[in-house]
Amino acid sequence: MTNIGAPVYLEEKLEEISRSGRLDYRSKSLPTWCPGCGYFSIVESVTAALNRLEIDPCETTVVSGIGCASRFPFFVNTYGVHSLHGRALPVATGIKVAKEDQTVIVVGGDGDAFAIGGAHIPHAARRNIDITYILFDNGIYGLTKGQASPTSVLGFKTGTSPFGNQDRPLNPLMMLLSHGASWVGQAYAGNPGHLSEMICQAIAHRGFSYLHVLSPCVTFDKTTKTYKNLGMMVRGLPDDHDQSDVMAAMHEAQKTEQPALGLFYTENRPTLGDGLNEISRRSQAGS
Amino acid sequence: MANRPQILTDMQVSFCGSAGDGTIAAGDIFKRAMAEAGYQIIAFDVYPPEIRGFGKCIARTRVTFDQVYSLKPQSDVLLSLDDSHAIPHVGEVRDYGAVIYEDRPMATVEEGEHMSGHLKPAQLPYGVSFRELSERATSGARFRNIVAVGFIAGLYGLPRDLFHRTIGRKFAGKPAEVTESNIAAFDLGYDDGAKTFQVDINGFGPPPKRKKSEKVLMMHGNSAVARGCLSAKIDTFFGYPITPATSIMEILAKEMPKRGGRLLQTEDEISAVAAIVGAGFTGSRSATSTSGPGLALMTEVMGLGSIAEVPCVIFVSQRGGPSTGMPTKTEQSDLNLAVRGVAGDAQRIVLAPTNVEGCFKCAGIAFEIAEKYQTPVIVLLDLYLSNRYEAVALPNKNPFKLDATKWAKKPGKGDAYQRYKLTPDFISPRAIPGQQGMQHTITGLEHNELGRPNDQPAMHEAMSHKRHEKLKTAINYPNLTTSKRFGDKGRVRVGVLSWGSTFGECLEAMITVRKQGITCSAMKVVMISPLPVDEISRFMDDCDVVLVPELNYEGQFASIVMGTLGRPVHRLNRVTGTPMAVNDIIEEIQILAADKPKRRKAAE
Ligand SMILES: Cc1ncc(C[n+]2csc(CCOP(=O)(O)OP(=O)(O)O)c2C)c(N)n1
Ligand code: SF4
Repeated sequence: MTNIGAPVYLEEKLEEISRSGRLDYRSKSLPTWCPGCGYFSIVESVTAALNRLEIDPCETTVVSGIGCASRFPFFVNTYGVHSLHGRALPVATGIKVAKEDQTVIVVGGDGDAFAIGGAHIPHAARRNIDITYILFDNGIYGLTKGQASPTSVLGFKTGTSPFGNQDRPLNPLMMLLSHGASWVGQAYAGNPGHLSEMICQAIAHRGFSYLHVLSPCVTFDKTTKTYKNLGMMVRGLPDDHDQSDVMAAMHEAQKTEQPALGLFYTENRPTLGDGLNEISRRSQAGS
Repeated sequence: MANRPQILTDMQVSFCGSAGDGTIAAGDIFKRAMAEAGYQIIAFDVYPPEIRGFGKCIARTRVTFDQVYSLKPQSDVLLSLDDSHAIPHVGEVRDYGAVIYEDRPMATVEEGEHMSGHLKPAQLPYGVSFRELSERATSGARFRNIVAVGFIAGLYGLPRDLFHRTIGRKFAGKPAEVTESNIAAFDLGYDDGAKTFQVDINGFGPPPKRKKSEKVLMMHGNSAVARGCLSAKIDTFFGYPITPATSIMEILAKEMPKRGGRLLQTEDEISAVAAIVGAGFTGSRSATSTSGPGLALMTEVMGLGSIAEVPCVIFVSQRGGPSTGMPTKTEQSDLNLAVRGVAGDAQRIVLAPTNVEGCFKCAGIAFEIAEKYQTPVIVLLDLYLSNRYEAVALPNKNPFKLDATKWAKKPGKGDAYQRYKLTPDFISPRAIPGQQGMQHTITGLEHNELGRPNDQPAMHEAMSHKRHEKLKTAINYPNLTTSKRFGDKGRVRVGVLSWGSTFGECLEAMITVRKQGITCSAMKVVMISPLPVDEISRFMDDCDVVLVPELNYEGQFASIVMGTLGRPVHRLNRVTGTPMAVNDIIEEIQILAADKPKRRKAAE
């Protein structure tokens, strides 16, 4: 709750934001999402995180596929690739392999990731490529105006499932944990403070970090993953959760009725870049 | 040429047997020794799709003094390691050519199963005891193939130590006994050949003298592609294995890390091409390699490369199609896909080398062109070109430019960098990640000069125009032969217009019909997209009729030429899975030449 007592002057607020340096990370385009869409929090959180980590905008590349969420690169003042539906991860892989010193952030929706782009996720995870994947899960196809997605709940009525969705939703956290992602966390667009903190940690992690963000589509989902419903469902991870225990992480990931927010699992292991450097070394040593 | 020798070498030797006979290995030793001696070489192996088993293998090598462009329709020597496979090929041996076969087979041979019963009257039979000689040299029959190589070398008086060196190199890294056994087997074969009377008047004369400024290496098309990439200082490579392109990736996997390059095997072709677009965006020289099925998967991302204007290079080696088709057979049927396979209007640059040396040049120059015009470039080979060996003279000096980019200057204060700026040459100055103050987002959406999504009519027209016009200027890119005419100058009766690996056969056919008194010239087209229309048009002006031979059913190149120039051509199409027979082209030229000039009217 904000303090009603002290007046806030717009000029002062703008001055404060501009002094913070965060505007350096914003482009001149205003986000085109529907008012209330969970995606607004991405822009805020990512720019805040880059600012906090003092990563230069020109040392950062944001990559996306196609979808509402994927419009993201246009709203930040970093380098960006708005690529193709489902292909953000391989494009990002090319960028990171070619230019190791870029901070590479991938943003996309659940259809982009788990339907059309599903083949790429296991490989990005197992290679431990040093990029951050922020996945915005609204359980629906937003850009194409409301069809079922791989994370839509059973029975959900959409344009392409008028009698209810018959396909069981995927469990992305279980998938990423089993694929070998070295950092797996979950956040909620309705809790921007925590989201911001998680994005910061995810970017700072050396290796493949996967952040699952529950994010309502206010326009095409009025019944299932709404702010109201999600707000009642989410909880924190247990205080004694061991972030280095992949079995414990999977145990928590199974509780889809009460999604937990926080860092499920993290480990330190060599990245794809480390592996490629090692191959280079071996080839030059002649073995 | 000043001192041309008395015997102008032109000998084609074919080894034929089953997969287990060491047929391909025998051909390999023979061609490597001949290349080392300094001869011109063209060699192409045909083998079954199965890795093991008893399928037929043929290893053909043509050894010449002058440069030639294809295998000959007729061989001078056929060496049979398995008569059941070789008998059907007896007919391809010329009169007074040699047929060499096992004279003491292991098992009883049924009527009609032994080579000796199949020779044509003028062919020269040589029965040799391969197995017995192998067993005497090594106490095993495994070295029959090496005995056979030795016999040919001995029969034609080729230097013994040359082959010893080649064998030594081939088995370097294996235990010393392996080399020793091979050499022992070779020597017994050699001695046997040397004491056999050589009847044929054709044989091996001295090899040509080579220039100091070049090094001559024997390599196949795929290895020439890999060398081209390395000379152009490729930075990154992403690929997914597929016959017949895989060896490009395998060679680069060995060589790139030594030079600081990085190579990654991706999960599929979509990721491979998406990754080279990502890498290309950062300024990396990046490439992938594939065949038709992979190219089909890549088309969407290549469209992104076109509209987002990202340099990248895609090597495609065609095989028999459609679908999985004939993975170990050659065909030129992915031309439509390479040139036109994309959503929307997205022209791209397609280069099709015609020989192994061309593979090297096109591979290297593809990186320059991709950079200069900021677009995907396809280099289109086929199985025949990928796998065929030639002795190639590579320049000692690196012929490729290592940066062909038009770079952007940092914009003034308050000005934003315009990634897609409309300029007089249609090329927008580039900036790449890491450069300060030039941040921008590239996109597959239609966009304005800043790269912001914009679908206004005038903008889509301006940007479509820009993307197409900039490619047109690629036809004039320096150091690249986009098309070239050979043979008779001026007006000719028949013109042969050709692309890709088939050009070699066309050239041989053209040379032959000219000797028969038909005026003829042949043009190769290396840049298939955008098409060098003016050159082709001038060539067609000079020809009574134009013939387009190609290895696909539909006549894909003929259709492109007719569609682009609006002028008729005659098609010659074969889908046998093998290189085009020179005789088929010769016959077609003869028919066209004999035709009344009314066809000429139709052509005008
Ligand atoms: C190859 C291809 N197929 C289909 C589409 C159409 N399409 C665009 S976005 C989209 C789904 C978007 O859903 P999601 O990825 O969940 O993102 P959201 O819009 O919900 O953020 C689809 C099917 C496309 N652009 N390209
Ligand atoms: S359609 Fe849904 S996901 Fe897309 S911008 Fe609107 S609210 Fe957000």
